[in-house]
Amino acid sequence: MSGGSLLSDHTRSEIDRWVAKFPEGRQRSALLSALQVAQHENKGYLTRDIMDAVAEYLNLQPIEVYEVATFYSMFETKPVGRHSISVCTNISCMLRGADDIVNHLEQRLGIKLGESSDDGKFYLKMEEECLAACCGAPMMMVNHQYYENLTAQKVDKIIEKLDKQD
Amino acid sequence: MGSDLVNIEVNGVKLAVPSGQMLIEATDRADIYVPRFCYHRKLSVAANCRMCLVEVEKAPKPLPACATPVAEGMKVFTRSDAAISAQKATMEFLLINHPLDCPICDQGGECELQDLAMGFGRDVARYSERKRVVKDKDLGPLISTDMTRCIHCTRCVRFGQEIAGIQELGAIGRSEYMEITTYVERSVDHELSGNIIDLCPVGALNNKPYRYSARAWEMVAKPLISPHDCIGSNIYAHVLRGTLKRVVPRDNEQINESWISDRDRYSYEGIYSQDRLDKPMLKRDREWLEVSWDRAIEATSSLISSAASGEGDALGILASPNSTLEELYLLNELACHYGCNNLDHRLRVSDFRDQDSDPTWLSLGCEIAEIEQQDGILVVGSNIRMDTPILAHRVRSAALCGASVGFVSPEVYEYHFPQTAYLHAPAETFVSMFVGVLAAALDILGDKPPAWIANALKGINIESEHRETAAVLLNKENSILLLGHFALRHPSFADIRATAAALTELTGSKLGYIPEGANSTGAALAGVLPHRGVGGVKRGDPCGLNVQEMLNSPRRAYLLYGFEPEFDLTNPALANDALSAADTVVCFSPFVTESLLDQADVLLPIATYAETDGTFVNAAGVWQSFNAAVDCVGDAKPGWRLLRALGNAIGITDCEYRSVEDVREALEAKLGSRKSSNRYRGKFPVSLMVPEIGEKVLDVPIYLTDGIVRRGTALQQTQIAQVARQGKSIQG
Amino acid sequence: MLNIFKTFLLGELIKGLRLTLGYFFRKKITVRYPEEKAPQSPRFRGLHALRRYPNGEERCIGCKLCEAVCPALAITIESDVGLDGTRRTTRYDIDLFKCIYCGFCEEACPVDAVVETRIHEYHMEVKGENILTKDKLLALGDRYETMIAADKAADAAYR
Repeated sequence: MSGGSLLSDHTRSEIDRWVAKFPEGRQRSALLSALQVAQHENKGYLTRDIMDAVAEYLNLQPIEVYEVATFYSMFETKPVGRHSISVCTNISCMLRGADDIVNHLEQRLGIKLGESSDDGKFYLKMEEECLAACCGAPMMMVNHQYYENLTAQKVDKIIEKLDKQD
Repeated sequence: MGSDLVNIEVNGVKLAVPSGQMLIEATDRADIYVPRFCYHRKLSVAANCRMCLVEVEKAPKPLPACATPVAEGMKVFTRSDAAISAQKATMEFLLINHPLDCPICDQGGECELQDLAMGFGRDVARYSERKRVVKDKDLGPLISTDMTRCIHCTRCVRFGQEIAGIQELGAIGRSEYMEITTYVERSVDHELSGNIIDLCPVGALNNKPYRYSARAWEMVAKPLISPHDCIGSNIYAHVLRGTLKRVVPRDNEQINESWISDRDRYSYEGIYSQDRLDKPMLKRDREWLEVSWDRAIEATSSLISSAASGEGDALGILASPNSTLEELYLLNELACHYGCNNLDHRLRVSDFRDQDSDPTWLSLGCEIAEIEQQDGILVVGSNIRMDTPILAHRVRSAALCGASVGFVSPEVYEYHFPQTAYLHAPAETFVSMFVGVLAAALDILGDKPPAWIANALKGINIESEHRETAAVLLNKENSILLLGHFALRHPSFADIRATAAALTELTGSKLGYIPEGANSTGAALAGVLPHRGVGGVKRGDPCGLNVQEMLNSPRRAYLLYGFEPEFDLTNPALANDALSAADTVVCFSPFVTESLLDQADVLLPIATYAETDGTFVNAAGVWQSFNAAVDCVGDAKPGWRLLRALGNAIGITDCEYRSVEDVREALEAKLGSRKSSNRYRGKFPVSLMVPEIGEKVLDVPIYLTDGIVRRGTALQQTQIAQVARQGKSIQG
Repeated sequence: MLNIFKTFLLGELIKGLRLTLGYFFRKKITVRYPEEKAPQSPRFRGLHALRRYPNGEERCIGCKLCEAVCPALAITIESDVGLDGTRRTTRYDIDLFKCIYCGFCEEACPVDAVVETRIHEYHMEVKGENILTKDKLLALGDRYETMIAADKAADAAYR
């Protein structure tokens, strides 16, 4: 294993930790985790260079990395806003008013689903399916954190808090 | 895979099949057809097209035949209502997004989807939604894409992973948005990549040079043999109204399985190049005249006769190793008529010191398919992927089965399989590096070297890399050492070969050669060698001049057969001097170039591999005869006819052949045995001193190997060719 | 016996002449060709033509289905990648001496490019004129497009 100069030392050590969990020569199995780490490092999205670096580091063909990165909806292959907001619109949440939440968010941020705000702070993810928190419907996930029993006011508070962060 | 049999029943027919087999293998063997798209017998099972769903008794749902292993007592129904309805449903899903552009699709008429839609498709679609559209990808000059037609069988992806060894294509995205692509716009460059065209069951990947020029049903498939390497890949020429439209592989498990290299597939464009010589031409007072065949043959015979009659030594005959066996035999007869021993086909060889130790012909040392069964392969002096792509695939298969594969190479070539050892040995130090391997083997085994090599071993420092390389052949049941093109062309070939022989003797391995050209075996059998006649029988003493000597001490007349001196000889400058100085140069060539116009006195257009009958003998000694597939371009004629006519004109007795079969029979009658043993009987005193390499061409890029390939327009646009062109200005 | 009477009384002849006389006074159906012409079906199969789309683009896509279906092997097509990257014919010849006017080519055409028009009055004066080349076929198509389109429309309901 060599190369991957685009990846920080932290990312590399994280990837190494994941590679160690799999048998020798099965470093491909660590690809998902490696991409997650790399994406986190790069403020929430992957670029082609980063994917190439991961491929080089794990000794894979670049296309193998592209395949995985484009397959999973958790990976973004185009630049997106800093804070990733996914509102569940599956059945339980839908019945409890998820569509209103989505509308509220769209108005508040001035963007549509699948877009990022101009200041690069927020990203509204497209078509998010059940996130397995039906008991707290409607819900959304912001930066891997769950917010449940949402109302418009609650959403505003969360957004304001994030807005102030940086 | 276990060898014990299990009993299954398919459609009421009882079958005994090896356990571990998949259902589809069992049904295929029993000639029971199960429809399929993603399954291919040479690739791994993906089971993602779902077309091969069949009903199995006691299974709650239909099962994919390609991914269901047979089990004792299994009862399978491939044509039951449940199976058929599952297959029809799959077909309906596949057709939701498949465009209805069969009339303009090059796959139309030979399309697996089209065929199966006839059997399993509905007459009228139940979907009125828009079909999806996928942007076409640019995969380079060889493969055209219409990605909207893709049904995501992933055969091309698996081909990259499993056969080529480098994944160039992948499936990105998921579900409706899945696309087969390289992701970034880059070409597919592997030397076997053209095979994905045949693998693609629909018209998504197609032959780019052939694009839109013919339909599958109007062409006639004629069997041919590939003329570019010593493997003799079996191909079909698809012919429309006498012209070659495309080349596809012909299955031959013993030789090329179902693959061919891109060179074999796309070189045919060279046949129709602008450079084709289409009329016999005669030089009179520095002016070229187009003349009739009668006149040309007459002029040729008088030119050669006046130069060589009574003094055969004044004539030099050089022939391309890509010529057919019959042509080469007739050339030999011509030489015999004049008592001329100066004939050679080893155009790029430069070391002839130990030529008397050559085997009758340079053989691979085993069958081509047997390469896969070796457990140790040492490739010495060969860019094997580029020299013989099909053989490289066999070596790769062996490596994947656990064989140790090692290389002694002048450059670092890229191989996509595990290598046990890679000894980097530049041309200048190649011999000493290789002798180091022998020294290491002797050291490990504690053996004494043969006397004739002992001198060279002094002063060799055994490094760990030598030991690693030697270990490839040590303690192996079935191992082989292959001497490749680079080794054969090396000015110290004799030293390299003697060392290789000692090494194989020591380790109990086989010695194999990868000779240049499609038919160097045939050339040796037909006696196109200065030191040996038909069947390897020794010529008179002293023997004739080899290619180097013929050029070093210029002859009065030369006969050049089927090659271009400026590209196909080791030392083009030397050749230019010799040919310019000669009184008479008779050139049989499919192509005409500026320098040929300059040097030659007669230019006789000959047919290329697709236009003539003939025989190629591959490196494993397999005789493969073929018939002309297409009409000759212009006035070109098959070489054997011309040589026969020339033979009559100069008065060779018994030159009354009416077909290539007659020529072949005449040769076979003289041939004692077709066999050859690579066992080395020489005692060449190995020296580590390498003669100056100078201008000599040791590595010929894959798409510059012969005249036809050099004129393959699409091949010349590939990444491989572009890079090679930048590295060497061979093409000028 | 009866036959003898019949024979001598020329009964058969009179029967025949009566029919002739009947037709003599009936309305005439003879057409004074070429001044007058018999009616034609819109399906009439005469001289061939290649059509264009209203924007001038050739309809023919070079699929060669007409060539394949032609029972008389009268059609010869060569195709290549066209200027716009599509499949186009570089040669489209119909040999009128070979053609048997069966109309299969028209049936096989997926884009209604090759058609048989109502034109049946044509002749050749020079050897070689029997070959309708692509240019000639397209010119025919341009010239008779209105008629071809009307015929196609008239027949559409029955297809």
